[in-house]
Amino acid sequence: MRPAHPPAAASWMLEHLIPGVSNEALAGDLHEEFRAGRSRRWYWRQVLGAISIRCARELLAHQTVLLFAVLWSMLAPAWLLAVAGLEARMHLSERLAGMDWPWSIVLDLGSLLATNLIFLWAGILLYLLPDLWIAGALRFRALSSGIRASLPAVIVVWVALIVLPKHFLAVSAPEIRAATGVAGASLVRTPTPREAVRIEDQNIWAAYDRQLAAEHDEIRSRTTVAPEPVPHEALLDLRMVTQAARIPFFLVILCTLWSVAQRQEGRSRSKV
Amino acid sequence: MLRAGDFFAIVEFMTDRSYLGEFEMMILLAVIHLGDEAYGVPISRELERHRGRDVAIGSVYAALERLEAKGLVASSLGDPTPERGGKAKRYFRVTEAGLRQVHETRRVLSKLWRGLPELKGERP
Repeated sequence: MRPAHPPAAASWMLEHLIPGVSNEALAGDLHEEFRAGRSRRWYWRQVLGAISIRCARELLAHQTVLLFAVLWSMLAPAWLLAVAGLEARMHLSERLAGMDWPWSIVLDLGSLLATNLIFLWAGILLYLLPDLWIAGALRFRALSSGIRASLPAVIVVWVALIVLPKHFLAVSAPEIRAATGVAGASLVRTPTPREAVRIEDQNIWAAYDRQLAAEHDEIRSRTTVAPEPVPHEALLDLRMVTQAARIPFFLVILCTLWSVAQRQEGRSRSKV
Repeated sequence: MLRAGDFFAIVEFMTDRSYLGEFEMMILLAVIHLGDEAYGVPISRELERHRGRDVAIGSVYAALERLEAKGLVASSLGDPTPERGGKAKRYFRVTEAGLRQVHETRRVLSKLWRGLPELKGERP
């Protein structure tokens, strides 16, 4: 027997994934055609076609937003390397690694998220500043509304904003990251039973401390000897791991500036 | 799920042209044909009947919105009906400027056709 209602998932997509103007009439037309005997396959094709067409139009209507999001996210890996290099020179990560669990991990991940947010917000402000300046609306409230607009996108991709950059740093700058954060925390370990037996000192723990200190020194010497990756070389790095690190930055910038642009268009339309 | 026709519809909408495209012209003529009953479904059916192939209703709406932005058609919302899932119809009608544009395009095309020599394979 033929279902009375069109596929719910397709209807949901039609309602939620088509940006811009109201699509009530389109949804009604597709519903009417489905009730008149069109197949589920036809309905799905129409919905996917409508979403593709609308997205293409919206992207072209906001070309500058798209271009800026691409360019700014291209800079993200260089920013990550620069900040990681700075942290290594200040031995910040080693200090974090020396803290008790869970503070070592919480602060390490938190500092990475914070530096990523600084980069994102700097990009958003850089994009908004000329417009606001020209419009004579360069006020704290106008700027903070741009930051606020980024929060929904940040909340959606916050895990990706930590995991993908961290993976990129682990691959691109292992010398820096070896002695930092979560990786550094793994240096603090308890001796295995075999190691404990092998240590023939009266004071086992003192010997173990010396062994750990030696391991630390070795890693530190490796860190200083190995050449640090140069941030600007990451600008044109098109490896998969680098591109993956750019994706969450691209999405946040694109969604934020898109919503700001739509809000501005709505405001100018209501003025008219 | 998407067909080649949908792709070409997308490409067509990616160009912001000031003159009437083939698809836009067909839609304008369909709206004139249908009169007071011109909304998404009959317009699409009219196009399918004459072109002999499936039409993406989303592409029809995109073209209609573009024509509306150019001032060639105007739209108004009807009442919601149960057979449409409680959604209203959006009726379209051609404006004076739209009619002028259709006549102008017809005039130019007729002139061009008249001056054309007999095409290869064409049978009178």
